[in-house]
Amino acid sequence: MSTASAPLAESINATLADLLDKEPALLLLGEDIGRLGGVFRVTRGLRDRFGADRVRDSLLAESTIVGQAVGLAMSGLVPVCEIQFDGFTYPAVNQLVTQAARIGERSNGQVSPSLVVRIPSGGGVRGVEHHSESNEALFARVPGLSVACPSTGEDADQILRYAVRLGSPVVVYEPIRLYWRRNAPVRDAGPAKSPTAARVVRRGTDLTIATFGAVTHEVLQAAHALAPTVDVEVVDLRWVAPLDMDTVMESVAGTGRLLIVHEGSKDVGIGAEIAAFMAEHGFGVLRAPVRRLAPARRAYPPADFEKDYLIDVQQITDEVLVMTK
Amino acid sequence: MLVARGVDEEARQLQKQGALDLWLSCQGQEAAQVGSALAVGPAPTVFPSYREHAVALLRGVTPAELVAQWGGRTFCGWDPLSLRFFPYTLVLAAQTLHGVGYSIGQRLQGREDFVVVYIGDGATSEGDMSEAMNLAAVESASVLFVCQNNGWAISKPAREQMRTSLAERARGFGIEAVRIGGRDPETVFSACSQAAAHVRAERSPCLVEIQVARMHGHSTSDAQEIYRSGEDIAEARAADPVTAYAARLRESGLVDAAWFDGVEAEVRLLREQLMKEYT
Repeated sequence: MSTASAPLAESINATLADLLDKEPALLLLGEDIGRLGGVFRVTRGLRDRFGADRVRDSLLAESTIVGQAVGLAMSGLVPVCEIQFDGFTYPAVNQLVTQAARIGERSNGQVSPSLVVRIPSGGGVRGVEHHSESNEALFARVPGLSVACPSTGEDADQILRYAVRLGSPVVVYEPIRLYWRRNAPVRDAGPAKSPTAARVVRRGTDLTIATFGAVTHEVLQAAHALAPTVDVEVVDLRWVAPLDMDTVMESVAGTGRLLIVHEGSKDVGIGAEIAAFMAEHGFGVLRAPVRRLAPARRAYPPADFEKDYLIDVQQITDEVLVMTK
Repeated sequence: MLVARGVDEEARQLQKQGALDLWLSCQGQEAAQVGSALAVGPAPTVFPSYREHAVALLRGVTPAELVAQWGGRTFCGWDPLSLRFFPYTLVLAAQTLHGVGYSIGQRLQGREDFVVVYIGDGATSEGDMSEAMNLAAVESASVLFVCQNNGWAISKPAREQMRTSLAERARGFGIEAVRIGGRDPETVFSACSQAAAHVRAERSPCLVEIQVARMHGHSTSDAQEIYRSGEDIAEARAADPVTAYAARLRESGLVDAAWFDGVEAEVRLLREQLMKEYT
C-alpha cells in the first residue's frame, strides 16, 4: 500500500523557486542555504538562480536570523527563514515569541509581517544531540504564531503559498526523514477544504487517528495493515496552531473513537489539547475514551536508542486493537 | 529639551496620582536625545528602546500618544510608520536586530536605508546587541547606534556591567565609534552629525556612546535611594543638562526672556492638556 512520490525536499525546493520567481518581495534567509543549498539541500540551486541578495547565507546565529527577518518584514519584504535543525531553534525563541508574534498588534495592525520560519524536524535519521527534536507544541501555544506540520510535498506547497501571504508569522515544521524518501503510503486524493484545514487522508468507519508530521506515514501503514479487520480513518492535521478541530470532530462523529499519535513528547502536547477539546465538546459522540500515543517526557535519546523513543507501526496497530476490542 | 522635561515631569506626576501605571523618566538624557535626533534629521527610521521620549516628541508623537501605553491603553500610542518612529521595545535589545534588518530591507528595495537604533547601557549586555553590531558590520548596514549610557542597569552600575566602553566594544566588531559626554546638546549634535555623515557616506554603521546622568530611578517603581548614594544622585541632578543649556542660552544672549516665556507657556499648555486627558 505504498506508492512512488517526489521527495519532500524536491517539492519544497520547487515551491520556493516558484515563489521567488513570482513574488519580488520574497527572500530566503538561513545558515548555509545559499552556496551549499542547505544541510538537507532543500534550497539547492536557488542562490545560483535568484542571486545572493535573495537567497541569503545568514550568520550562524538564530536570533540574528529571526530578529533581522522581523526588520526585513517591517520594510515590506517577505523573509522565509530556515533554521538548520529543530533543536537549534531555541536561540531564536525570544525573537519569535516576544517580537515576531507581537509586532502586528504592537503597531496597531499597521505592520503585518508575512514571515515564515522553516524548521527541519523530527527523528529517525540517527541525528546527534538536538538534531531530532519535535518542539512544535512550544510554539503552538503562542498567540500570534501559526504552526504548520506538512507531511507531503503537496501539503507543504499549499501551506507555504498560504503562509507567505498571511500577514503574520508562520512556523513550518518539515519532517527530516521524509525529505528524501521516494515512496509514501497511499493516501486518499481528496483536496483539503482550505489551506488551513486538516485533511482526511484515509476514510474509515471504526476509529479516527488524528496525527501530523512524519509519523503520519507510520499511522497510514498501520491503518492499511489493519484493514479489513478494523477500518481506521486518518486525519492529517497539517496545522497544530490553529488546530482544525471541526474536521476532527466530524470524523469522530462518524467513528466514535479517537486516537492521537504524534512524535513530540506526550505531556502538555498537541494530543492533550485535542483530547481536552473532545472531552469538552465531543463527549456525546465518543464510544470509548480518547487515547494518545506519543513518546514519554524525556530528552530525545542518542541514535542507538531512538527506535525505543519513536512511535512505530506495531505500537499504533496494538493501540488501535486495544481501543476497538 | 524644555518640552521633553515638562512632559516627563507631568507623566511622573500622573503616575503618582495613579493615572499612569508606570513611567520611565528620561530626565538627564534630554541633551543626548534632542542632540542626536536633530543631527540625523527626519529621514531615518528610528528604532527606540523605551525611554526615548524627547526623540518621540521631536518626531511628532503627541504627549498623550506618548504616555498611552504607560496608562494601559495600548501597546503603542502613535503611528509608527508615518512618524518613522517604531514602537517602544521592552524586551531589551530585541529592536537592535529589527533595526539592522529594516535597513538591509530598505537597501534591497532601493529606499532610504538610514536607521537609528537607540539602546541603553544595560541592554548592551544582551546577546542581541552583540549580534546586531556584528550583523550591521558584516552587512555594512546604514545603522547609527546611539547608546545612552546613564551608568546604571536599574541597580547595577556600569562598571560592573562591562570592562570596556561600549564604543571600544563596537570597534571590536569593526564599527566606527565615539564616546562623548551627554550634558551639552551641541556636543551631541556635532558628534552625531559626524556619525550620520559617516553612515551616509560610507554606507556602514557607526556607534555613538553618550554618557548621561540618570536623575531619577529606572522607573517610577524603582527606589534608587536603596542602592545609590545621596551624593551620587545629587551630582546627577546638579549635572542637569536642561537647566545648564537654558542658562547657557540665556547668558549668551542668543534667546531672550520672551522666548523662554513662550516655551514655558507652551509647556504649561501641553501639561494641562495631558493632565485633562489622563485624569
